[in-house]
Amino acid sequence: MFGGTVRGRTSTLRVPADADLDAHRRWAADMRIRRAGPIGRWHEPAATATWKERWAEQAKDKTSVMWSIGAGDALVGYARIRFEGAPLAEILLLDQFVIDPDHARKGYGFDAALALHRWAFDFMHLRMSVTDRIAADDAGRQRILEKLGYARFGHGHAVYYRDGAYVDQYLYQMDRDVWSERWADEREYPPLGDETAR
Amino acid sequence: MFGPVLKGANGVSLRTPALDDRKLVNRWMLEPETSRFWGGRMMDVRDEAFAERHTKDADDPNSVNWSIAYQEETVGFTGLFDIDWIARDCESGIFIGRSDLYGQGIASEAVRLRTEFAWRELNLHRVHNWISLRNRGSRRANEKAGYTQMGLMPHYGFRSGQWYDDWLGEVFPPARSAGIFVPPSKGG
Repeated sequence: MFGGTVRGRTSTLRVPADADLDAHRRWAADMRIRRAGPIGRWHEPAATATWKERWAEQAKDKTSVMWSIGAGDALVGYARIRFEGAPLAEILLLDQFVIDPDHARKGYGFDAALALHRWAFDFMHLRMSVTDRIAADDAGRQRILEKLGYARFGHGHAVYYRDGAYVDQYLYQMDRDVWSERWADEREYPPLGDETAR
Repeated sequence: MFGPVLKGANGVSLRTPALDDRKLVNRWMLEPETSRFWGGRMMDVRDEAFAERHTKDADDPNSVNWSIAYQEETVGFTGLFDIDWIARDCESGIFIGRSDLYGQGIASEAVRLRTEFAWRELNLHRVHNWISLRNRGSRRANEKAGYTQMGLMPHYGFRSGQWYDDWLGEVFPPARSAGIFVPPSKGG
């Protein structure tokens, strides 16, 4: 599936548009992004026709959701989540989370991640968010996750291979209770008042 | 893909899965005796659905699937899944459907055969898995084959009023090459 609009403060998760395909082609072929490991590798580089097929499959897939991340008029990245145990899913798996290196260090990553988790916990009321796709040397994503409230629960050894060497894997999770405590003011909608009349 | 026949000890072997094995094993998954630590006890049980999944497994270049046989009878399945051929890493899984045979070491031998195959024939670098912490039998079977804990995920699942944590394990080839040495064929 494609995800609808979730507004952050400086960025917005929005429905992917055909015009975004070129960026995906570019990101898939960018070694700066691919270096992150599986969380930065949604498919291998491919021809335009193949990318269109991938998007069609993504649109139909009811076990996952993908968004483009925009900031102003610019496309700055994308996010993709999967539902663990669909169709009775209550756990979100953070599958892809990419900010274009040309837009890095502007705060879009954390802002988009906060919006994404507001959708997950405040809007969808999911029970837990998990990712097993973080390389041990990926300090940027680790900072974002830990600032959100994720706790590390696992450490895989020599899991990803790149640059001629293995790198370890960190696994993170966050329960809805942690989110609710830490981000109590992050609400998709303001509370409704008492209903005085029908 | 499907795995080749691997003969083990105590009447346990891994066999190339047949469609009838899949039907049998999947129906066992729908029973309460086998599903405390497994799935939601629901699935598409049409024959064509089994055939489709069977063909899909056979065609998948990134997995190796076996039926587990005990005394020549199918009792479960095991496999290596999501093989990353660059990192040479994959996930493993096992299911014993005959609950009356629990505790007889069938899973331990199946995991041993599977793990040796990962090193000797696939040249993998690492195998990992997720097991319910309370599923002592499965966890022990994997630990005996060398799996060690790499993580513990609290509150992974909920059954009968209790939260279950998940145990994350990983295993690497024996450090010494002698550990995986296979004598050369004598020919003929």
